Amino acid sequence: MKGTRSLVFWLMAVGVALALPVQSHAGAPGFDDKEIRIAQWGPQTGPAAPWGSVARGSDLIFKMVNDEGGIHGRKIKYFIRDDQYNPAQTKAVVKELVERRGIFAFVGGVGAACGMAVKDYLAENKVVWVGPSTAINEYVFPVNPYLFGIYPLYEDEASVLTKYVVEKLKVKKIGFFYQNDSYGKSGLTGCKQRLDTYKMSLVEEIPVEPGEKDLSSQMLRFKNSGAEVVIMWVNPTTATIAVKTCATIGYKPQWVSSNTLSDFPLMNTITGGLWEGVITGGFGVPPDSDHPLIVKYREAAKKYAPEERCGTFYLAGVLYAEPMIDALQRVGPNLSLEAFLNALNTTKDFQGIGPKITWTPDVHQGTDSIQIQQCGPNGSYILLQDWVPNELATWKKM
Amino acid sequence: MIEQLIIEGLAIGACYGLFGVAVAIIYKTSEVVNFGQGEMGMISTFVAYHILAQYGLPFWLAFLITIVFAILLGMFIEFFFMRPAKDPTVLGLIIITLGAEMLLMGLASWKWGAEQKDFTFPLSVQELHEPIPGFVLNEWSMGVFILTGLIMVMLFLFFRYSNLGIAMRATQQNQNAAKIMGIKVERVFSFTWGMSSLIGAVAAMFFAARSVLDPNFMMEPFMRAFAAAVLGGLTSIPGVVVGGLLLGIIENFFGYLWPVWKPIVAFVVIIIILTIRPSGLFAKHYVKKV
Amino acid sequence: MDMKRDYYEDIEIFSSGTVLFWSIALLIFLFTLPLYFPSYNVYLFNIILVHVILAVGLNILVGYTGQISLGHAGFFAIGAYGTTILMTHLGIPFFVSIILAGLIAAFFGFIIGLPALRLEGPYLAIATLGFGLTIMHIIGRWEVFGGRMGIQAPPLDIGVPQMGLSILLDSDVKMYYLILIITITMVIGARNMMKTRVGRAFVAIRDDDIAAEVMGVNLTAFKTLSFAVSAFYAGVAGGLFGFVLGFFDPFTFNLILSIIFLVMIVVGGLGSVLGAIMGATLITYLQYDLLKNIDEMPYLGDLLVWVSRKWFTVIGLENFNSILLGLIMLGIVIFEPLGMFGIWIRIKKYWKTWPF
Repeated sequence: MKGTRSLVFWLMAVGVALALPVQSHAGAPGFDDKEIRIAQWGPQTGPAAPWGSVARGSDLIFKMVNDEGGIHGRKIKYFIRDDQYNPAQTKAVVKELVERRGIFAFVGGVGAACGMAVKDYLAENKVVWVGPSTAINEYVFPVNPYLFGIYPLYEDEASVLTKYVVEKLKVKKIGFFYQNDSYGKSGLTGCKQRLDTYKMSLVEEIPVEPGEKDLSSQMLRFKNSGAEVVIMWVNPTTATIAVKTCATIGYKPQWVSSNTLSDFPLMNTITGGLWEGVITGGFGVPPDSDHPLIVKYREAAKKYAPEERCGTFYLAGVLYAEPMIDALQRVGPNLSLEAFLNALNTTKDFQGIGPKITWTPDVHQGTDSIQIQQCGPNGSYILLQDWVPNELATWKKM
Repeated sequence: MIEQLIIEGLAIGACYGLFGVAVAIIYKTSEVVNFGQGEMGMISTFVAYHILAQYGLPFWLAFLITIVFAILLGMFIEFFFMRPAKDPTVLGLIIITLGAEMLLMGLASWKWGAEQKDFTFPLSVQELHEPIPGFVLNEWSMGVFILTGLIMVMLFLFFRYSNLGIAMRATQQNQNAAKIMGIKVERVFSFTWGMSSLIGAVAAMFFAARSVLDPNFMMEPFMRAFAAAVLGGLTSIPGVVVGGLLLGIIENFFGYLWPVWKPIVAFVVIIIILTIRPSGLFAKHYVKKV
Repeated sequence: MDMKRDYYEDIEIFSSGTVLFWSIALLIFLFTLPLYFPSYNVYLFNIILVHVILAVGLNILVGYTGQISLGHAGFFAIGAYGTTILMTHLGIPFFVSIILAGLIAAFFGFIIGLPALRLEGPYLAIATLGFGLTIMHIIGRWEVFGGRMGIQAPPLDIGVPQMGLSILLDSDVKMYYLILIITITMVIGARNMMKTRVGRAFVAIRDDDIAAEVMGVNLTAFKTLSFAVSAFYAGVAGGLFGFVLGFFDPFTFNLILSIIFLVMIVVGGLGSVLGAIMGATLITYLQYDLLKNIDEMPYLGDLLVWVSRKWFTVIGLENFNSILLGLIMLGIVIFEPLGMFGIWIRIKKYWKTWPF
């Protein structure tokens, strides 16, 4: 009895292991006459899983392209791999994709450390990477010939937002609440850079660890400092707790935040309506607008992915893939790595649902422009300011 | 300002304490730290959310159904995962609870997805009251205080006067002797798990109302509740609650003075306290004899 | 199982000719492994080997000495960061750096071992957990360590580049051989240590610490020694892990990793070196490779997608991985308290006594 049970169990375990598919496409260039293989990693499970919709969003536009006949006769074969937001796993899945499947290009890709872990590997293997889903200076400075950044740098975004706060809202007392990592710190740098030009300084700056669930003491500090505007550079969960906590202690500053928190319908629901009035940066056209492309994507999402909520992150996945498809279209039927790189390097003022993107062989940071949006009633979007670049951006002067 | 820090610290601390009690009840009877406790609470909260969002039942009804679900879930895990284990070591049992944790986490994320949900809770964090001038309380913290007090009194009466409670204490002291006295030890374990799961589910709903509901939302609170329970001494239930309150206050005070070190200050304090009192503040230190 | 007739038989590495034969066969297999598998698998093998070193070390603490640690990711981090910092900032050669980093980890292990003299069970678990969190937090705060952003490991050069003697290991396969040799050394070291006076003292402490003390085992010395040795293993493993990854941040070394390490040795089988190896291999494989693309699988994929449509969500299907890992853990521990090592013994016995 004892033996049989464990034997059966063991057989099951072995069976599962054998059931793994072993199929290989290993085509070195990553494309052939029928298909172009494109991939993305993204956390589909684990603590960062809400960002997973970015990778699934890119799937939408590839499906649309394929249904319209592909790119010059080639279909796009798209792979998504779950890395659980863990750089060790990102490297594992990226190696598997590149060496076993043969990948032409990567698109998107969430996670600063995850991207840093595979950045050099991708460049060594001459795999193009377009539109990392996070802004890290190390990605684009110095120029990496295979990496093309779209996401506006957090410094630029914070700088533009701070300018808006000081000049339009005419606020003197500003607090800054940031996640203790490269995302939050870049935001802080940008904000301070801007404030220096006005000879102003922050009344309070408080870091937070990403997983913290009790923020009472931090919020009380902001209340005590008398900040009228609190700029926050944190993740959605932390932001929700912060806003709720402030409501409990009777403190109502004007919240300003990065585009990471610009998914208003979601934020408004999970904060129980407290998100109304919050101002954020925006790096894509709002999902509820009547921009022709957005309308097209919304319709497509209903058809191809009825389960998905067509929110900011989902559309971000589309946004990262747009310039890549544009470049592939321009290359024409004679696809090659050099031709593709050349097409990307000559992208000038391309605009989809994001800002205008320009890449030259010397600058691979595509943009520094953001919109400024405000959350209206029921999570609707109010556009406060259209695309504005950061005139202080240090990298443009190089 | 200082009174608000105290109130906020006590409120979140009571929540840690309540969840710590759930951990402590299982530890008391079987010496197993249930690492699946957080996820048991998480999945119960999701059930409540599902009932509210899908069927639109009133909250009290959803709450009752969830309570029943939580009890059954606890008993289920005890019956199907803990009980069949052959010659279990304590560490083996702990790994079983971890396996159950992964299972529940996977199921919840598969069913409800990773995106954050809003959990509509009747006690709002925004409704402020001022029972004593100068002390501003929101409904949520009032709920936490009342509920923690209520559950503590009920637990005290239960362990003191009810047959089942006495049987539980007997099982905890000496399993074999309890068996000889005619106590069905296995049934006692089942009840323990059911009760612990119930308390955990209630505490988890309070946490969800304060933060957001997603499959990971109980990881951090579980860790702190476990730490609070250890601080108070795992075997003393009032001690666990006091441990929770202390943890909440320590975190909020240090967090106010040095926000940078807030996430770890509680652990540093706990390590220092444990080196002085190895079994926590309120548990009797068990001196081993040969 | 097998009767031991004298002490020398007990301390032999290879107890019989058969074992010697199979050990050599296994070694040949391990050294030729990269030939049979495509290159991307070698990365996974590297991670498995690193985890094997750590699991063998953790097993010394948990399996042999009977203490518990939820802070091993902290020692792992000290090893990774220590090696990288020593090499990049001080220009110390690789082998010296990794041993120094291991010793730093061992020192911290010794410090954590001090409260462990009085703490037991969950109390020790919380103390070590607190240590792991604190290490992660301090590293995340300190700019030398790259803060939360993370840090780039230097190129893995096992020579002394300052003296013009440069042996650069720039591919996964080359790294594999280095890690394999270190792993084999560490595993044999652990196995031998368990057969010395020190190992027997550890086991005595596990079985009954007071009785051990009465027998003349110095509790203070051996408990802290056990922590230090275990932390040294974790430190060396961490040092190698840094190079395998190339880039890492403090979040890589979180509490979940500490828990996974504990799962490895319990699933593998406590108190056995072979068990630790098997556990580390299985759990790492399950985590990194199993079911990474469920919906592309034949039959099972379609079935699961159908199940998801009906009762769950297709978006969350990837979480099936976590469910399966949980079930395998539950299955092994429920049916086999000795873990995979127990299954191994049972299979061995079955074949030895066959056909009876």
